[in-house]
Amino acid sequence: MSLDNINHVVTTSNLTKHYGRIRAVDELTFAIPAGSVFGLLGPNGSGKTTTLGMLLDVINPTSGSYSWFGNFSKKENRQKIGSILESPAFYPYLSAVDNLQIIAEIKGIGYDNISEVLKITGLYERRHSTYRTFSLGMKQRLALASALLCDPLVMILDEPTNGLDPRGIAEIRELIRTIAQQGKTIILASHLLDEVQKVCTHFAVLNRGKLMYSGLVNEVSGAEQRVELSADNTGELILLLEKFPGKRKLESAGEKIVITLDGSIPVSDLSRFVYQHGIVVTHLVSLKRSLESQFLEILNEQV
Amino acid sequence: MNRLVKIEILKIRTNASFWVLAVLHIAIILLVILSGKMFLRSLSIQGETISNLIDPGAIPLYQFPDIWHNITYVAAFLKFILAIYVIISITSEISYDTLRQNIMNGLSRKDFIVSKLFLVVLLALASTLFLFFTGLIIGFTSTPDPRLHDVIKYSGFIPAYFLLLTVYLVFALLIGLLIRKTGLALGLMFLYTLIIEPIIAFRIHTEWIKGLLPIKSINNLIHMPFVKYALREVKDYVAPLDMVIVSVYAALFIWFIYLLLKKRDL
Repeated sequence: MSLDNINHVVTTSNLTKHYGRIRAVDELTFAIPAGSVFGLLGPNGSGKTTTLGMLLDVINPTSGSYSWFGNFSKKENRQKIGSILESPAFYPYLSAVDNLQIIAEIKGIGYDNISEVLKITGLYERRHSTYRTFSLGMKQRLALASALLCDPLVMILDEPTNGLDPRGIAEIRELIRTIAQQGKTIILASHLLDEVQKVCTHFAVLNRGKLMYSGLVNEVSGAEQRVELSADNTGELILLLEKFPGKRKLESAGEKIVITLDGSIPVSDLSRFVYQHGIVVTHLVSLKRSLESQFLEILNEQV
Repeated sequence: MNRLVKIEILKIRTNASFWVLAVLHIAIILLVILSGKMFLRSLSIQGETISNLIDPGAIPLYQFPDIWHNITYVAAFLKFILAIYVIISITSEISYDTLRQNIMNGLSRKDFIVSKLFLVVLLALASTLFLFFTGLIIGFTSTPDPRLHDVIKYSGFIPAYFLLLTVYLVFALLIGLLIRKTGLALGLMFLYTLIIEPIIAFRIHTEWIKGLLPIKSINNLIHMPFVKYALREVKDYVAPLDMVIVSVYAALFIWFIYLLLKKRDL
């Protein structure tokens, strides 16, 4: 292991899990930087949960290894990690407070934070109700409360907004941002790309257990940009744009023309270029390149 | 260690099935013991005799020192009620995914097993203490002239009862962890205890090999005492060899439990 461990909360090396002949996770090597909000993307069944399960020691890897905080000892590391995998798991016959007390004992901490995390997640009023009386949204929020309980160094959230209403989703997103600002590392597995783009700094794409891509969220929108234009004389505009120095691709969609540019070129350059050549545009919109289009592209490259 | 004990107590403190089965266990033990007493008295009043020789009212079932052997033998039949709870406890941890969540939160698999073994010991200890105090009370009220020597004699059956319960409950823990589904695990436990092993035992003709079967060896700790009142000879002590055999089984069961949990993806 290199000195890199200091800057990474977790590193994996050829992490692999086979279920019979199916390779759920295939030779995964990656590192998650400390302080990042790391989005783990992939279609259903791409190995996200299996990967997180291995990092949390509930699934035994077929081969390969991983290391938290640069040390391998597992139990103490997990005490410093707040995690939700798939659906929330609590004792249905116990109240919210009793459930959190069990977790506090497992984490080796006191009960002082319990009221606090219940207030943050809006469950304080229902703290003495048994878990089985909770709605799906409340269960999801209790899971989040349990992940926050130990003031964790790292939070692992697997589909944390599953089953929540739009307001709940927005609240959780806000909560994730707030937690990230405190310098904690968050690992977020999701198939909701919009969600990842809004909160994550880094992301990785998994498909069929293989790592397809890993990088910064900003780079995705920074590598290329697309601008939509139209003018009174479309033909002339097309001829002109063909000559624009930073052009990568030109598409026309009816009246409108979409030009793909190098990410480094300011849109104002394009506007000036067109104007200086005597064409007045009637429409000019900078299209933000979404993680979704990038994601689909990454997946398509493999097929 | 203290932490693991606390965790298990938090889990059972407000658990309805725990309290229902615990009360049931105690109530049935009391019922069986007290009904035996009333039954003998009514026989005696009707002037019945056993084998035309013995007056039922004169049988010292509830007197020191016989009481220890008698009540532990009877109570041992009710071990299955506690075993039902042990199976429910472990299989529900699996079906609620709380076993997995416990590990994710920072227990090691070994910690989890230790906390469940603590549950087993707690149940066995509570039942044993209950039986001990019940025995003392009934013994002192039934024995005309209780002497210390008689109170102590045969009291070795009390620790034997504790050992018997503990090993059987560890067996239940293993079945629950192996089968995972509550209903199936309960079914298999009863099937093995009441049908499969007795059939195997029936086919074995050498007594000492029979005694090596797990349930048989557990039951061998406390032999049937009552035939001695018909003047037949009875093993009225706990044989050290029997204790060694069940202890080996306990160790084997725990080892299996450990291997099962270690290898399994949760």
